Amino acid sequence: MNPLLLFLILLFPLAAAVVNALLGTRLPRGAVVATAVGGVALSALASFLLWPLAAGEGTRATLYTWMASGDFSAAVEIVYDRISAPMALMVTFVATLIHLYAAGYMEEEKDYARFFALLNLFVFAMLVIVLSDNLLLLFLGWEGVGFCSYGLIGFWYFEERNADAGRKAFLVTRVGDVFLGVALLWLFALTGTLSISQINEAAAGFAPGTLFLLSLLLLGGACGKSAQLPFMTWLPDAMAGPTPVSALIHAATMVTAGVYLLCRLFPLVSLSPEAMAVIALVGVATALYAATCAAAQREIKRVLAYSTMSQVGFMFLAVGIGSVSAALFHLFTHAFFKALLFMGAGCVIHMTAGENDIYRMGGLARRDRLLFWCFLIGALCLAGAPLTSGFFSKDGILVTAFASEVPLHRFLWGAGSFIALLTAFYTFRLLYLVFLGAEKRPVGAHRHHLPGVMRWTLVPLAALALLGGLFDLPPLYGGGHALREWLGPLAGIGPHLPHAVEWLLAGVATSIFLLGWVFAHLRYRIAPAPGESLGARFLLSGWWADRAVYTVVVRPFGSLARFFWKVADGRLIDGSLHTLAEGSNVLGEGLRRLTTGRLHNYLTALGWGGVVMLAWFLAGYLL
Amino acid sequence: MIVPMSHILAISATMFLMGFACVLAQRNLIMVLIGVEIMLNAVGLTLVGASALWEQVDGQIFVIFLMAMTSAEVSISLALVVYLNRRKHTLEADAFSEMKG
Repeated sequence: MNPLLLFLILLFPLAAAVVNALLGTRLPRGAVVATAVGGVALSALASFLLWPLAAGEGTRATLYTWMASGDFSAAVEIVYDRISAPMALMVTFVATLIHLYAAGYMEEEKDYARFFALLNLFVFAMLVIVLSDNLLLLFLGWEGVGFCSYGLIGFWYFEERNADAGRKAFLVTRVGDVFLGVALLWLFALTGTLSISQINEAAAGFAPGTLFLLSLLLLGGACGKSAQLPFMTWLPDAMAGPTPVSALIHAATMVTAGVYLLCRLFPLVSLSPEAMAVIALVGVATALYAATCAAAQREIKRVLAYSTMSQVGFMFLAVGIGSVSAALFHLFTHAFFKALLFMGAGCVIHMTAGENDIYRMGGLARRDRLLFWCFLIGALCLAGAPLTSGFFSKDGILVTAFASEVPLHRFLWGAGSFIALLTAFYTFRLLYLVFLGAEKRPVGAHRHHLPGVMRWTLVPLAALALLGGLFDLPPLYGGGHALREWLGPLAGIGPHLPHAVEWLLAGVATSIFLLGWVFAHLRYRIAPAPGESLGARFLLSGWWADRAVYTVVVRPFGSLARFFWKVADGRLIDGSLHTLAEGSNVLGEGLRRLTTGRLHNYLTALGWGGVVMLAWFLAGYLL
Repeated sequence: MIVPMSHILAISATMFLMGFACVLAQRNLIMVLIGVEIMLNAVGLTLVGASALWEQVDGQIFVIFLMAMTSAEVSISLALVVYLNRRKHTLEADAFSEMKG
């Protein structure tokens, strides 16, 4: 097969985006939706058909040299290998389902052309990140994802709150992008190239300090996109966007970009044990932070947003302990079940006519059986119920941490298990409050029509979420670590434990899941009331992170800006100019008096001038 | 020369100063113009005297030009005076101070 065919994967969503952006307002709604869904679906089909190209060393394709200047040259080159191929397939497949779902979700939206154009562009930008073999091209996709998320989170920009959320996402992720930009420039200075494969080869020759700092810079970039500490504040606010956007951002794209970046550059990052420890600690800290916050949120989408943050933290932990395969496995299963959960949440919000507060829902299980079962599957995966995909992927990470020789990793295993407990707790809290119990609202008047396409797209995702564990089933359950085998040398370390210990760990994980369930049952089955204590408010506001950022960053920056505005610009620059103008004004006022307009004053002045001149000459003559 | 040059200079200087005093002191525009004429004539006297002293005719030719120019100037000035009188019905010089800054 011609390697250039790989560009078809990128071309279809881009073409759909361009068509919808340019002609979307003139085409009928059906054509716009068909273009958008078709573009992504064709891209998924292309990634599927081109799968053979990924075997072995993978396939590289160069379209043209993007820019060349002196030593520097960046080509539009993509690589379809063991990491990027499954990632591209997952992104396009999930995105196709989300586009279908969005066709139903945005049924009553007037501005659908802009929405679908941005959605397609989003997928295109994400695919650029996934496929790029050049860090500069990757950076292009990186920024493209940021731009599209800005446009989509603030999609309903008539409300100030939504526009603010879009701006916040853009600005906060930009901070991380600065780190990535610095890393790119440094890598170019060191190696003279921006090709990912060449950088990975050259990384072995770097000094340890350089490697450590480079890895931290890359981690900073990844944290910005993946909403990890300390750049996590944008993710909960990003829920202001339409639900398909939340599903797209939080399942298939954007937040996984950071993990993916670290996986692509794993040969470089893994050379610095200190940086790996930092990555793992950042992941665990974020997972813990987000899990505690999720346990207190009142809005259904914010619960899911925090849980995403927490699960991405698990992926960072997996990278940090050195297992790319565990990170990618969790990335894939999480993409399936989190997209499922978000789309289910969208259905729930649709059914309750825009209600977001889980304390005002309830009893929805009786209203829509299919939705309930799909959501239940997603929730069980998230909570880590045994034999679901989430169980295998999360357990894979924890087992790897447990099996590691490094003392720190044993501690991380403990922390991760505790977070898994919290995860099970808040997942069942969500289930109990939304689907079980009594209905809190009168139904009849608010009964809302749920488009069929929104319900039926849940089914394939539910199937994938349930059976996703098969992709990387451990030998313990009769599998062969398929994903691990496929990744081959790129997979990183794997767990090597006696079967008895593995059974024990699986038992521990199961009992953690059950414990979380029991806690949630005791707390929310019997007394489902929101907590009003200080602690609850602390968790509800996300540990007051927004306030902290406001105090530490925004306000000092505002003061500094105000200083430059009022003092430096107002007083110093404007002041000196004003003084100068005032001075010449006063001088002019004084000189104005001389021109009285009276003839005699002029003549007298002439006379006095003559006298002075004569006196001057006389003095010169006499002296 | 019958008359010494110093006398001529003294007379013309006196005339010049008297004319200048007239220009400064008088408020009436016509009187100001008369003062100007006296000053011009004082200068003309000096020129004639100097011409006689150095026995060169240039100075006297110059005075003839001066007279021609003066007559032209007076005719324009008087026309202006008549015009100004029509505008404000006065010839007070201070009444015309529109050029005040």
